[in-house]
Amino acid sequence: MTSLDEGLLQWAVDKALEAGASYAEARYQRDVTSGVILRNARTVGVGSEVREGIGIRVIVNGSLGFAATNTLTREGVERAVMAAITRARATASLRKTPIEFSDERVGRASYEVAVKRPLGDLTAETLTELGKRLTETINSSVKEVKVPAVMFQAGTRLQEKLVINSDGAVIHSVVPRVTAFINFVLAHPQKGTLQRTIEKEASGGAELIDSWRLEDVVSEEVRNLEKVFLEGVEPPKEPVDVVVGSEVVGLLVHESAGHPMEADRILGREAAQAGESFVKPDMIGKYRIGTEYATVIEDPTIPGSNGYYLFDDEGVPARPRYLYKEGIIYEPLHNRHTAKLMGTSSNAAARAMDYASEPIIRMSNTYLKPGDMSFEELIEDIKLGVFIKSYMEWNIDDMRWNQRYVGLEAYMIRNGELAEPVRNPVLEITTKGFYSNIVGVDKHLRFYPGTCGKGEPPQGVPVWFGGPDVRLAKIRLGVIA
Amino acid sequence: MVTALELAESVLKRLEGRFDDVAVLVRQRDYVMVKLWNTEPSVTQSWIDAKVSVLVSKDGRVFSTELSVSDPDAVDNALRNVGEILAKLEPSEIYAPLPEPAEFKPLEGLVDQNVLKAMEEPGKYVEVMIDAALKEGAERVAGTLVFGRMTKALATNKGFRGMEEGTEVEAYLRAFKGEFSGHWAHGSRVLDVNALREVGRRAGMYATITNSKAEFTPGKYDVILSPLVVGNLIDTIGWMASAMAVMMGFSMFMKVKPGDKVGSEAVTIIDAPRDTELAESTAFDDEGVPTKDKPIIKNGVLVNILHNTGTAKKMGTESTGNAGWLFPTPWNLHVAPGNVKSEEELISELKNGVIITNNWYTRLQNYVEGIFSTVSRDAALLVKNGEIVGHLGRIRIADRFTNLLSNWELATKETHKIRWWEVETPTKAPYALIRQVNLTKPFI
Repeated sequence: MTSLDEGLLQWAVDKALEAGASYAEARYQRDVTSGVILRNARTVGVGSEVREGIGIRVIVNGSLGFAATNTLTREGVERAVMAAITRARATASLRKTPIEFSDERVGRASYEVAVKRPLGDLTAETLTELGKRLTETINSSVKEVKVPAVMFQAGTRLQEKLVINSDGAVIHSVVPRVTAFINFVLAHPQKGTLQRTIEKEASGGAELIDSWRLEDVVSEEVRNLEKVFLEGVEPPKEPVDVVVGSEVVGLLVHESAGHPMEADRILGREAAQAGESFVKPDMIGKYRIGTEYATVIEDPTIPGSNGYYLFDDEGVPARPRYLYKEGIIYEPLHNRHTAKLMGTSSNAAARAMDYASEPIIRMSNTYLKPGDMSFEELIEDIKLGVFIKSYMEWNIDDMRWNQRYVGLEAYMIRNGELAEPVRNPVLEITTKGFYSNIVGVDKHLRFYPGTCGKGEPPQGVPVWFGGPDVRLAKIRLGVIA
Repeated sequence: MVTALELAESVLKRLEGRFDDVAVLVRQRDYVMVKLWNTEPSVTQSWIDAKVSVLVSKDGRVFSTELSVSDPDAVDNALRNVGEILAKLEPSEIYAPLPEPAEFKPLEGLVDQNVLKAMEEPGKYVEVMIDAALKEGAERVAGTLVFGRMTKALATNKGFRGMEEGTEVEAYLRAFKGEFSGHWAHGSRVLDVNALREVGRRAGMYATITNSKAEFTPGKYDVILSPLVVGNLIDTIGWMASAMAVMMGFSMFMKVKPGDKVGSEAVTIIDAPRDTELAESTAFDDEGVPTKDKPIIKNGVLVNILHNTGTAKKMGTESTGNAGWLFPTPWNLHVAPGNVKSEEELISELKNGVIITNNWYTRLQNYVEGIFSTVSRDAALLVKNGEIVGHLGRIRIADRFTNLLSNWELATKETHKIRWWEVETPTKAPYALIRQVNLTKPFI
């Protein structure tokens, strides 16, 4: 059962074709969010948001047009259709080559993420109580330091899409999500402050909140971070073996494997803002970026994941993609446009943030393939090294080559065991520097949520990124200036 | 078609008997964006929609919602259970009654008819930008050009009524020559063809400024930051000046108070909602409080934290006219110019150091300490003896905001109107010379 009559979308597609479009697509999208924000266990805000409307995309005279409206009447939709067509036509003369899409098998499908408990169980009252308990847990977990600020935010998101296009796709989906975010600051008169944010998000129902065991998570983090804060030492200045924790690995593969393997970046479509890629078309299937451990997988179909979908917003069926395979640059993420340009098929990477956003190439769930070792086995023969478990600051350049991750919870490794805490170790490394120095991975695949930003105007879409703990050989770490 | 204010009043009428406070904010927009890829349009996007935001309170309990609808009954329907939700909550820590309406002085000149005309023929302005970049010797360009019209209306149950209509132009272009690139951006309420041409010219100029590369060793350098980089970093500082950022632990101003010195005397940052050249100019904030231009930092001293009525009450002060119902924010930012006559003269003052013309991905290890890094993109140039000797590639500023503000020494007289992805708040900024900035690059 859809929230919008399919007939209106079909009418929009027909209208666009009548007006001269060679391709037309109408996507109804409804995003409903609600949640609470607390500060130091006191309610600050309770609210909700409903974004509901239709996005129209057309190809006319070889020019691509997109228009969005939330006036869900024939009059409103027609206005959007005509805006998409006339404004695309107005710039068509500037195009040297027409825009075309790859031929794909599309069809009719409908799917919905099943929940154990409805999102409605997470009332403002319930979430507020959770926020109060978590703040109390944080305050009672510290021994010497003060906690001047705790922010807690949690809520639900329900996303419904209905995509219809002139090639015959009719795809309906409903994906519920639950989200939680915690920020806390530890303060000490001589040491200054330490800050940590923790984020959880996944697709599913109200049951997710309990499954995250947030009180255990924050209690352990606060106790560990107080030690790092008060006792942390500088990392060694000489190159040492570095074990990069799965939290950092997840972000790192998102940034340095996922983004550079987006075909629109490779071809330059996102050059103005999101940037291009160190990957060039002739490197695909040939160029060695890392050791045999460097296998990075992108998979929208993981049940319960944050980036979950079974069909993309162009109606193409989703499947796992191997971005890097055993050290070789392997398969970029495509939509139907880049697939046509590179003479291949789309692998279903087109996603739109909301009704007002054009579908563009996005990641879903990106992870480094785990191995079969335990963590203890991974570090057992390291005489002197550093384990970076978590991070706060990170960034990467616009070619996805030069990147930096500043560790938060980190420890020395001495004679195969975790030892004293390390404060703010800096892993500043190139993409090839990371993947070609992997000498081992453990078996613990963990995922972390994020909102990936890209596009003009900016679109944030929910993703997961993950991996095992990864061992790098002889890396020089930096320190915060 | 109903006006934005009629829609706001219509929603208000349905809700005002049920709550102590009701504010209804309507935003209607008609925007077009042409996106460029390899010197040709990749997509032309349009948005014709409306958003209704509603704030209600009962006994200090506050609920806000944002709905992408144009039907008052739909808003009423969406809020039918809010009374029950509120009854189960505790009062908000930052609740303050909506203010009694104060007279506000409307801003003139927010609509440029030329922008409205340009929305139907954006192609010819795109060509102006492209041609200017190619004339500088660029081989290809990418970028966006936006024209738009936004109407905002606010109605509160305290009797405030206000409506504003404004136009916007936002343009940025990245020009490429071989492995080098340059970038420039512009944001305004009016169509200025020369400014669009300048976007192309400066992007092309930085892409072709030198063919040489220079070696880079991490360390402390004197640097010149372009208005794009100044805009990006000041955007973060402006965001941290919000009282809510301070309260939530997301601000370097958590450890200081107004009156404290936070930078050199050369640093003045102003929130400028009444600058009608910039696209977020407005005469009233989201609570109906009249806006005013005021310094955040003046001659290195923190002067104002930005407030709505709720955060102001909590901190024992007055609203600064920066609501945001939950999160006060700056409207437009001005970075005060200096006395240096030209960019060339600033390079002479630098003598030896680095020019960073663009950046992105500013992230913080710790907001309270202001520890951050950001990555250069496009031209990052080594200067020796007052001459540009070559590109340094992609390098990183990794430092503390407190150091940057303290070591801020000189700025150009001329400022530039900047808005793009990395400078969300419309900003007027000069080129600035900052001493002893920590720059890094990967070891392997």
